[in-house]
Amino acid sequence: MNVGGAIRAVISFLIFVVLHYTLRPLLGWRAPMDFLVLALLLASVRVRPATAAVIGFVLGLISDSLAPDALGAGAIAMTVVGFGASYLKAVFFADNLVLNAFFFFLGKWVFDIIYFVGEQRVKGVELLQQLLLWSPLSAAVTAAVGVLLLFLMRPLLEPAPT
Amino acid sequence: MARAIRSNTRFDLIILGTCIALAFAARALPNTLRDPVATGMRRSFLAPLVLLQENAERGRESLLSAEPKQAHLDSLSLGSMKAAALESENERLRKIIGLGSRIRTGFVPAEALHGRGVRDETTVILSAGSRAGVERMSPVIAPEGLVGFVDQVDPTMSHALLWTHPDFRVSAMSPDGTAFGIAQAHLTSATGGYLMELRGVPFRATLKPGALIVSSGWGGVWPRGIPVGTVLQEIKTSEGWARTYLLQPAVNPADVYSVMILRRERLAKGLDGVWESVAQADQAAQRIVVSGDSAAKAAALAEAAARRAVIDSIAAANGTPPLGVTPTTPAATDTSAEAVAARAAARAAAQRAAARRAAAADSAARRADTVPRRDSVRTDTTPIRPGARR
Repeated sequence: MNVGGAIRAVISFLIFVVLHYTLRPLLGWRAPMDFLVLALLLASVRVRPATAAVIGFVLGLISDSLAPDALGAGAIAMTVVGFGASYLKAVFFADNLVLNAFFFFLGKWVFDIIYFVGEQRVKGVELLQQLLLWSPLSAAVTAAVGVLLLFLMRPLLEPAPT
Repeated sequence: MARAIRSNTRFDLIILGTCIALAFAARALPNTLRDPVATGMRRSFLAPLVLLQENAERGRESLLSAEPKQAHLDSLSLGSMKAAALESENERLRKIIGLGSRIRTGFVPAEALHGRGVRDETTVILSAGSRAGVERMSPVIAPEGLVGFVDQVDPTMSHALLWTHPDFRVSAMSPDGTAFGIAQAHLTSATGGYLMELRGVPFRATLKPGALIVSSGWGGVWPRGIPVGTVLQEIKTSEGWARTYLLQPAVNPADVYSVMILRRERLAKGLDGVWESVAQADQAAQRIVVSGDSAAKAAALAEAAARRAVIDSIAAANGTPPLGVTPTTPAATDTSAEAVAARAAARAAAQRAAARRAAAADSAARRADTVPRRDSVRTDTTPIRPGARR
């Protein structure tokens, strides 16, 4: 990745992070989109798995700092998702919106599964309801928003050739 | 090449393991450490993001509460619009009640129902009829004065002609009885307002603007003393033998909603003094309001004094100084060396102050004993009159 591409990637990453802390609370949906996961996924396909893991760890700690009871759960989930996305980038690294949508959906769902299991706040039927109903819904919304932003920010999000 | 790939993979796995281990360590932190870590992050490099999120949530709250706030504002606006009408109605009802208490007996209260448009008020329907004792030609009055008379009576309601009707006439006079005339509607009013005119006033009698005109009691319909209006000015007519005055009517027909219909038996007693006491009643009401305020103020002061007494007694029971008193010495129960020394210093200061006060009182007493005598003036300093011997 050249310098220009790196700068564009950083800018798009920061845009997603800012959106997570502005648009998401403004909408306040029950199944919210997760811009941090989108930022992590889009960054992970551009860096090595180790770097993606570090980015995921930092992003997870950032999100966990606003919910101290779950400190560490988000970091574990983000680390795994980032490392996995970077490791599997050969599979998903295609200019196909549907495939990217599935990539976002899967990333968000996996994140939610790890997060809620690691958080240990919801249990039993409520956990199942969260993982099988609200998390897929949230993942679907995240995927839809991710594809929309991917389309709108195409000039910024062009992946670097490998 | 293959070795490099394996090395890179191993490096990635080591980093992954490290990150996961750190994340688990964070997850395993006890609450006493977890909160300071999260708080430190929020207060340092995450502060801008926290601020963004706060602003976004505040914006969402504003969006969600905008509609209820608007509805609340609309309700308040509607309430404030109604408040003026309610105040006006209250004022009218108070006047009606005051008039009723002054007339005492022989009247029927009624609501006046306007059936026509604005500025076309010549008749009204009254909500009382023959069952309530209303008869034809019964006078209709309001707290301000004369309104009209009943011309048709039904069992439950009646029809009244207002003074604005072209056929309406009432014998009127000045309160002192020096000027008499016939009051009727001023139908040629170019201004379009409701005015009356007093016709047939003897040429020798003059009325000044602002003079009150009341019903004279002649004619058998109207009792004496009901306010008809006040003189505005004299107007020129073709009648050379009498004067005609323009009157500002006492009652605006558009504002007539609550009225009183006088019964026949009440007419004989007259209404002298009923409207004269309006000003006195207003003054009495003002006095009642002022005395009520004074009583409330006295009650508040008494309550404050009682509350302070309770607080002081509680403070005394606890060994603390009363409210508003700054403690200058440590409590007597404190046995530390500093407290003992402070108490000793305070006692010494008190003794010194008492000694100063006693000395001052003594010197004042001595000064009182040494009042200068009137003959103590030195003779050599007195002026000597010319020619006087020393």
